[in-house]
Amino acid sequence: MAEEANFKCLRCGHQFKAPFSPKDEPQERACPECGSNSVRRIKEKAKKK
Amino acid sequence: MTDVGRHPRIELMTLSEVVDVQGYIGNFRVKVLRKARYVDEKECTACGDCLEDCPVTKPNEFDLGLSTRKAIYQPFPQAVPAAFALNMEECLGNNPIACGKCLEKCEKECIDYDMQDKEVEIKVGTIIVATGMDVYDPTELDEFGYTRFENVVTSLEFERLINAGGPTEGHLIRPTDWQLPKRVAFIQCIGSRSEKRGNPYCSNVCCMNTIKDSLLIKNHWPEVEIKVFYMDIRAFGKGFEDLYKRSKAEGVMYIRGIPGDIREDQETKNLFLLAEDSNTGKVMEHEVDMVILSIGLIPSTENSLIRQLLTLSRTSDGFFMEAHPKLQPVDAPTKGVFFAGCAESPKDIKDSVTQASASASRANILMSAGKFTVEAITSLINEELCKACGLCARVCPYHAIEFDKEKKLPARVIEASCAGCGTCGAECAFDAVVMRHFTDQQILGQVEAILEENPQDKVVVFACNWCSYAGADYAGVSRLQYPPSIRIIRTMCSGRVDEKFVLHAFKLGAPIVLVSGCHFADCHYINANRWTQKRVEKLWDKLEKKGIRPERLQLEWISAAEGLKFAKVMKEMEELRQGVTLEEIDYTRKEL
Repeated sequence: MAEEANFKCLRCGHQFKAPFSPKDEPQERACPECGSNSVRRIKEKAKKK
Repeated sequence: MTDVGRHPRIELMTLSEVVDVQGYIGNFRVKVLRKARYVDEKECTACGDCLEDCPVTKPNEFDLGLSTRKAIYQPFPQAVPAAFALNMEECLGNNPIACGKCLEKCEKECIDYDMQDKEVEIKVGTIIVATGMDVYDPTELDEFGYTRFENVVTSLEFERLINAGGPTEGHLIRPTDWQLPKRVAFIQCIGSRSEKRGNPYCSNVCCMNTIKDSLLIKNHWPEVEIKVFYMDIRAFGKGFEDLYKRSKAEGVMYIRGIPGDIREDQETKNLFLLAEDSNTGKVMEHEVDMVILSIGLIPSTENSLIRQLLTLSRTSDGFFMEAHPKLQPVDAPTKGVFFAGCAESPKDIKDSVTQASASASRANILMSAGKFTVEAITSLINEELCKACGLCARVCPYHAIEFDKEKKLPARVIEASCAGCGTCGAECAFDAVVMRHFTDQQILGQVEAILEENPQDKVVVFACNWCSYAGADYAGVSRLQYPPSIRIIRTMCSGRVDEKFVLHAFKLGAPIVLVSGCHFADCHYINANRWTQKRVEKLWDKLEKKGIRPERLQLEWISAAEGLKFAKVMKEMEELRQGVTLEEIDYTRKEL
C-alpha cells in the first residue's frame, strides 16, 4: 500500500488525501476541487507519551 | 554503420557502457567500461567456424526469441565490427572436459578466455545522446491474448518474421502451423493513447508501420485478407497519406474500433475478434488466422541512468526534454549535449536521421568554433561571504558549482555550465551568490517600487521567464482581462525566488504574494522548480509560526500556453487580496 498524507488547499480550503512518502522527490500537486497548486501537506503533530 | 566503423576519425566503442561523465561543454571527461569480447575483434573475420561446435543454444535476442544463437555469436549479420563476441555467462568455459571447442576450431586464434573488462577515460567536447527506446510489452493487456495465443504476435516480431534475414527467411507464416495465414488482423495503439493502461501519448510510428506491413503482405501474397483495427490513422508525413490510400486501394480493410476481446478456437487455432465499428455502430465478430499487435514505443529503461550522468531532464512521458521545443529542439538543457532519435521522443527513421544530422551540425558548430558564448546571467560567488557550506553546489541542477568539501575553499562557478536559473542564489544563506542581472538588490528594488504606494492594493507576482511570464504575455496578446492590482516581477526561474524577497514583500505591506513557475515536467532548468516548491513549503511553515496566514503566500505552475489559466489565477489572487484585512497587514509588518 502506498503511503498517504493529508493535504490542504491554501486557496479554497479543501482537504484531501494523496499518496505521499517523505523519501519521494517533490511532486506537482493540484487541489482536486479548484485545481490550485497551493497545496500544503498537513503535518501530524507527534503524540505525547 | 559500416562507413562509421571504417572512418579514420570515428572511434566506435561497441560492447561498452558509459559509467561516469564529469566536466562541462568543451571539457567533458567520460569514463567508459569496455566489456571483454573474449574475441580479438581486429583478427576475427566472422567466418563462423567457431559456431559449428559450440554446444550452447540460447534464444536470439535480435530475432526476439524466434530463432536461436550460440554462446559465441554475432548479434546480427550487419553488426559492426564484423566480429564475433563470446557471452561468458553462457559459455561452458575453457575447460577441456567441459568445452573449449571454439578455441580449438578458430584457426586464427582470435579467442581469448582471459580477456578482462577495462575502464577508459576519454575527453570530449560535446555529447550526442542517441540511446533509442524500448517497446511496450502487451502482456498486461490480457484481452488481446499475447503469450496466451501463439498466433498473436507483436509488430516487432512480425517485422522479423517477414524479414528476408529473419528466422523464416521472409516467408509469412503463422506460428502454430507454419502455414501462410489467409486472414491477418492488425490492432493499432497497443500501449499508446490510453490513460489507464499503457501510455497516454501517441507513439508516432505505428500507423505507418502497419500500412507499410500491410502493403508488403499485399505485394507478396495478394490473396491474404487484411483488416486493420484502429482509433485514428495518423498519416501526417510527406507521402504518407498516399501510402495509406494505396493500401486501401490494394484491399486492406480499415475498421474504426479496437477489439474488446480475442478468443481462440482450440482446434484450428484461429482467432475471433469482437469489435464495434464506430463508423457503423455495429458490433461484429471477425475470424482471422493471425493477429499483429501494433505496439507502442516507450522510453529506454536506461534513461534514468543517462539522466543522472548528464544531468538531463525528462518530460512527463519519460523521454528526454529538449532545451526549447521550438528554438533548440535537438539541444539538451545541459550545454554541449544533444539528442538524436527516439531518446528524445518516439519518431520514425526519417525524423531520426533529420534530428541526428541537426545534432551533428550543432555539435560541429561548437567544436569548430572552439569557443562558446555564455549568456550574461550566470551566477558569481563572493568569496569573502562564502562560508563553503556547499549548499549551492548541492542544489545546482547543472552541477555547475565546484566545491571542495575537505579543503573548505569557497565555491566556484563553472560559467560554461551555469544556465542562470538562480537556485544557488536563492538558497545561499550568506548572500554569497550574485546572480548577474537578477541580483538581490535589483529584485528587492522592484518589490520596493511596487509596494511604495498603497501596498494593500497590490498583489506581488514572481513569474518565471519561460512559462509563467510567457503565460502572462499570452494572456495579454489574447486580450484576456485580469485585475490591475497584479504586479509581476520576472525571474529566469521560480527557483530564483529567495525567501527574503517574499518576506520583504510582506514586510512592506503586500497582502498576497504569488510564486509561479513552469509545470514540473516543463522546467527549463532541469528540476530547479522542485527547490521552489520546497522553499515555499518552508515559508508556509515559517509564516504560520509567526501567526501569519500561510494562505497569503500562493504557489502556481502556469505554462506559456496557459494564458487563460494565468488570467483565472490572477482573478483568484485579487479575490484573496480582498480578503486580507489592514489589521493583518499591520500585524505582519510588525512580526517581520
